[in-house]
Amino acid sequence: MASSRLTYAQILETNNLIQANADETYWLCVTRTVQESKLFPVPAYMMLSYMMAYYRYPSLLRKIESRMSAEEIGDRARNAGIKIQNPSMGWALPGFYLLGREWLISLGMIRPQDALEDLVYLMDFWKRFQLSWHRNNGHITNKEFGHRGQFLPERKVQVFHADMYDCKQGDELHEAAQGFMAAASQYGFLISCESRISLHNSGPYKLADDREMIVRDFMDLSESDFPWLDGVASEVPYNNLTVTMAVKDSHFYLVDDWGSFESKPEFTADKLVGVGLYTSDTLSDSYIPVGMGSREELTSCFRSLTEKIKDANNKLWRRVAGWSRDQMMDAGAITYFSIVKDLAHVAGVYDVNDWMMVDERAERFRPLFNDEYSRDALVGLCIGTHTSHRLSGYTMMQHSNQPQRLYSLIPYSVLQGDDYTTTCGPVYPGASHLPPKEDRYNTTRGVIGLAEYNRLAREMRPPALDPKYRHLCETWVKYNAGTPLADELYRIEQSTSRLLKGKGSSLTRADIEKLRNAAH
Amino acid sequence: MAKLLVDRDKYAAPNASVVVDAYHAAIHDLIRRKLDASGGDWASFVFDKSYDLITAAEFAAIEKKLLATGHRFDWSAMISVHERPEAYKPATGLGEDLATFAFEHAEAVVAPPDAQGREQRGIGDNVVKYAQNLVGVARYIRSSDRVLELLTSGIPADTIAVIDDSGGTLTAPILEQFKGVICAGGTVRSHLGILTREYGIPCLMNAKISGIREGDRVEIECTAPAKTAEAYQTGVEMTAKVWRLGK
Repeated sequence: MASSRLTYAQILETNNLIQANADETYWLCVTRTVQESKLFPVPAYMMLSYMMAYYRYPSLLRKIESRMSAEEIGDRARNAGIKIQNPSMGWALPGFYLLGREWLISLGMIRPQDALEDLVYLMDFWKRFQLSWHRNNGHITNKEFGHRGQFLPERKVQVFHADMYDCKQGDELHEAAQGFMAAASQYGFLISCESRISLHNSGPYKLADDREMIVRDFMDLSESDFPWLDGVASEVPYNNLTVTMAVKDSHFYLVDDWGSFESKPEFTADKLVGVGLYTSDTLSDSYIPVGMGSREELTSCFRSLTEKIKDANNKLWRRVAGWSRDQMMDAGAITYFSIVKDLAHVAGVYDVNDWMMVDERAERFRPLFNDEYSRDALVGLCIGTHTSHRLSGYTMMQHSNQPQRLYSLIPYSVLQGDDYTTTCGPVYPGASHLPPKEDRYNTTRGVIGLAEYNRLAREMRPPALDPKYRHLCETWVKYNAGTPLADELYRIEQSTSRLLKGKGSSLTRADIEKLRNAAH
Repeated sequence: MAKLLVDRDKYAAPNASVVVDAYHAAIHDLIRRKLDASGGDWASFVFDKSYDLITAAEFAAIEKKLLATGHRFDWSAMISVHERPEAYKPATGLGEDLATFAFEHAEAVVAPPDAQGREQRGIGDNVVKYAQNLVGVARYIRSSDRVLELLTSGIPADTIAVIDDSGGTLTAPILEQFKGVICAGGTVRSHLGILTREYGIPCLMNAKISGIREGDRVEIECTAPAKTAEAYQTGVEMTAKVWRLGK
């Protein structure tokens, strides 16, 4: 029996959030891409990761919030291209937990009314983070925004816009940037065991009538959290890299909560007409320009990074090719489960034992995860064919019109006396078949140990998030541009800008275009 | 015996997967027994006693029981069948039998040689439209051993890789050196499709082919329109041809 009482309002809201996630999960799984691999046992590690998420996320989120609120972390997420964007936060945080919960319900191991306080808390954390991160667009997800991912304030978009270098197919910068993005994408898939968790696209932002900007983040590239990058990625100089891309004559009509996009006419290399490059992490105030001093420097920088990434890619592939199935399972499951680990980095409470280990309660299920059962069970979870998904024959699920619901709702009968349980318990011990993580983390403050990393994170006070500026939002800017306070705020972002340093808050998009044209 | 909530499901129906049904029935039975053994109190069982009572050994026994019926699992990752060949269906076309191996897809569209002597041996979804079709030599790449071999010996410049893995990791160290790719899986949005687009390598995904053997000269119709997201969602056929050429 529960030790405390949930309210009707809490359950109503939680069920709404669960249902919204259920509808979008089905759509994403059916209409986006199939993830398969002959190298990694992907469905098997995904199933294992859902168990890890179910048993650990609630406790780990509570630990994070003991130092920093979800809303505050959401504010920070707008400031850096780190792994608390999509698919991590927009979909995976609730998704992995709810997929794990649903599988356990279908096994009969839990009921929809079990671990209710965990469930209500996790969904509430997610809601508060999402609303904060999406503050500038006012939606809770890209889905609610009509599959659009605009998060950044004008002051940051203006810097990206202004400092981007023009390029066209066939020129050196275009070729170097394309080569980098191809190599980084491939390396990202390998780092994240065939998932696209290392890649994130957001936007589009309208640069001109015929141009849009997509912001592409390549994350966890160097020696940082993943033990399997120790040694092989030591020469990759940045852990996170963000490429700003100006695209001509193509409209990005869909940017989903998995961080992938669709465009019309389809985006092809010849439509790339501008690029910029930045790094950032939980210890940086904002995006730091990389090789942005000149067009030649940027070209050279892309080429150099491409070579380093290719070298790391080949070394990592040889390492992975020698792994056992259990090691592949662990790496994949840890990649998935730890998709929200940067929340802990922002709060300065990251612990290897929390994020890089398989919880013993999840580990129990490993013998079930042969390739065939994992595939079929996973497909069933994603399209709603397990017994727990079935509803009354009168029901028509969004998208499929079938009598299904992807995630079980909380029964309201708990409000009139039906028993329920509150939590699955604290973090239990974990283990891994992979070598232990070496205490080396490549950050924007240099290569440091974890204790130092956490200490610096706890001391972080990004200037733009100082209480003086934190809530000077886009609505405020609309009516206060040109005031000393607005100029101060914009100059923080402009401090590392080649073209906008010190320009203040009065510039419009057209002014930025004029500055760009004058600079060329 | 104890009753579980799933035993009272008004809308219960069998799963489309026989293996899932068999596993879940066995797990339900396991939980009923363990709940009984713990005294039948769900609240103290679900997140406490069950952690000790429902173990990896119990789950391993469920798999063992299914294998004892003669069932062998489909495999998706080579490592699975490599480590436990006794539990999985055998893998073909990965090593020594490559010389005689060919994908034989029932949906492959084939046609007699045309005026140019090109014999259609299949179709696929074109990732990016290019100005000219691509001609090269088909080489099956289906295992990490094969990738390692090519990594060591070098990838012949005319290689059109024939792959059945739509992922981006199996061929990660050599993908950039392919002249073209025919992938018997995935969609143009799969990781392999994304990567070939980024690298500018002509590629057909979701290919259905027949009779293409290691070393055959092939042509892929990468001048066909790229298959769009709408075409996938609305079920519109947009395919490109694969031809086998005379030696």
